[in-house]
Amino acid sequence: MYQYNAFDQRFVEERVEQYRDQTRRFLAGELTDDQFLQLRLRNGLYIQRLAPMLRIAVPYGLLTATQLRALAEITRTYDKGYAHLSTRQNVQINWPELRVVPDILADLARVQMHCIQTSGSCIRNITTDQFAGVAADEIVDPRPYCELMRQWSTYHPEFDWLPRKFKIAVNAAQADRAAIHVHDIGINIRAGDDGRPRFDFLVGGGLGRTPVIGSLIREGLPEQHLLTYLEAILRVYNRYGRRDNKYKARIKILVRAMTPGKFRAQVDEEWEHLRDGPSTVPDEEIQRIKACFVPHVYEDLVDETQLLARERLADPAFNAWMQNNVAPHKRSGYAIVTLSTKATGVPPGDVTEEQMDAVADFAERFGFGEIRISHEQNFILPDVPQKHLLAVYELASEQALGQANVGLLTDMICCPGGDFCSLANAKSIPIAEAIQRRFDDYDYLHDLGPLDINISGCMNACGHHHVGHIGILGVDKRGDEFYQISIGGNQAKDASLGRILGPSFKRADVPDVIDRILAVYVDNRLDGEPFLHTVRRIGIEPFKAHVYGVAEPSAGEREGPAPRMKEPPALRRAG
Amino acid sequence: MEDEWTLVIEGDAAPGIIAPFAAWRKKPAGAGVWVEGDAEAEEIGPLVAAAPVVAVRFPAIVDGRGLSLGALLRTRYGFVGELRAFGDIIPDITEYMHRCGFNAFVLPDLEQAEVAIACIGRMSDHYQASVRQPKPPFQEPTTRRP
Repeated sequence: MYQYNAFDQRFVEERVEQYRDQTRRFLAGELTDDQFLQLRLRNGLYIQRLAPMLRIAVPYGLLTATQLRALAEITRTYDKGYAHLSTRQNVQINWPELRVVPDILADLARVQMHCIQTSGSCIRNITTDQFAGVAADEIVDPRPYCELMRQWSTYHPEFDWLPRKFKIAVNAAQADRAAIHVHDIGINIRAGDDGRPRFDFLVGGGLGRTPVIGSLIREGLPEQHLLTYLEAILRVYNRYGRRDNKYKARIKILVRAMTPGKFRAQVDEEWEHLRDGPSTVPDEEIQRIKACFVPHVYEDLVDETQLLARERLADPAFNAWMQNNVAPHKRSGYAIVTLSTKATGVPPGDVTEEQMDAVADFAERFGFGEIRISHEQNFILPDVPQKHLLAVYELASEQALGQANVGLLTDMICCPGGDFCSLANAKSIPIAEAIQRRFDDYDYLHDLGPLDINISGCMNACGHHHVGHIGILGVDKRGDEFYQISIGGNQAKDASLGRILGPSFKRADVPDVIDRILAVYVDNRLDGEPFLHTVRRIGIEPFKAHVYGVAEPSAGEREGPAPRMKEPPALRRAG
Repeated sequence: MEDEWTLVIEGDAAPGIIAPFAAWRKKPAGAGVWVEGDAEAEEIGPLVAAAPVVAVRFPAIVDGRGLSLGALLRTRYGFVGELRAFGDIIPDITEYMHRCGFNAFVLPDLEQAEVAIACIGRMSDHYQASVRQPKPPFQEPTTRRP
């Protein structure tokens, strides 16, 4: 975990006082709404449909138990006792009063936190693998580089007034858990032939109205050039990105308009002026930051294969949780636990102050006091000794954080939608809830296997619907809420964008449509084939045909267990 | 705060006048020049380097193109004269401009000018290199370390 030194601490404290003065001038009428808007956005404050929303930065998703308790305390003191984990690994609170936001920022600064650049057309929180530093498949620890880039991007003199928001994600493991193909810049870190880290840059990926997979513009950059190369990309974007139309202002539009080849050439030309300049990172600075991320003092534990086998056999629910929520750790005898926030009836990512306090306690009792937030909006306990997994499961279950659904259909990604967000065309939380209510049979969910459902309330795609195996997008049709459904998207290494099935549906029909899509999958899948692969193999047509009622699935040819529904289809059609 | 220069949005260049780029090129002697924030630094940079004043127009608070232009004029084209920002400017933005090399700002009144001076002096340190701070803090161990 990065520890602030005097420089970092003074910086956040001065930034709080700066914002306090801006708020005071706004309330005194010295700044107009429009002027203050831009200043408050750069401190994470939106004015939403119902109330302000404050987005708190959680750099690359890393928190200490102390910080999480401070967040719980903030929701108690200034809010309604709950917070929301966002798809950028941040934390949002929904009801802060504009005039007390400076006090909240001051409380955050006391625990080395802030809201800097969590909104506005600037470089946003840099995200990475929620398992960074502990994943068994990790190649390089990405956290020191994320921190280096966090510092570089914080209050940058030239790049805080970009054409549009700018999102950077970093992956450094075999599997891509950071969705780097759909970011403005996606960085893949790997080991070079000399064992030193090498950086590959993907640029111009993104979701929103125009989903694009990023283009590879630089391979194998050595670490000392990281900041100068970023500066070159950002300078080209700041100068030439479109500013006349906010829907065409992301870097992906510029890269496409120029072509990736010409964009790369322009970046290289700019970089020639900057490379080996003063922003070249000396090894001492990399080592200074790395020293904050030295591995914890792990005990010499052995894998508890037999104990876990016994415990799993004795409790099928624990078995399911082990299967879905527990990932391999790089140290023997330890495991990485994901605590799912996706309980039926709770908006995905919403957590109460009690849950936050409990998770902080778990992190101290069963780890080194660290917690992660994943972009799938769950909490991670990164260092749980295997012998304590059952205890963690039981304690988490008492806090409604024991759902065994990580990576399954009910572990949905969902934006706040029309209930909270003024941009949304449609609500998204009730859709998530309706799907969770329909599919709450764990056996059926496990039979379906890995399945990402991502829900966005509008084109801005905060719910990443394009890269959901099933994506749901809220659209507005003459003032009514409708939902467009796509299938075949994927956020992992072999990233792909979903294809739209066809005309959109009413809200009440969405669970039925999901049901029909899954029926086609179950009918057609080969042994052990996940949903995504079936879609890729058979294409979109069979799904289209069944969903829009052109053909019924051939019930006689079902393989494996038939889906178990809560209610018979006839009843579900009502309304 | 008195201004010895007069900026003309349209019109000819003359001593004491800040004229649009095209007019200034015809009669640069003793005149200043103004350009839009999206002017190509590569085109104008070598030409304006010797001007006493270069003014850059910021069409909106959110338009940061002039920041890159200012930084380039200072760092790549060696411009050492007065770099002036005008247009849609609030005091808080002048701090960014100052760090990108601007040293004159056109604000609506004296009160705002005073706020701008306070804004520019508010933060003790920054994480990056800039025109004002040619080396990032990690190149200056004494400022970086506690």
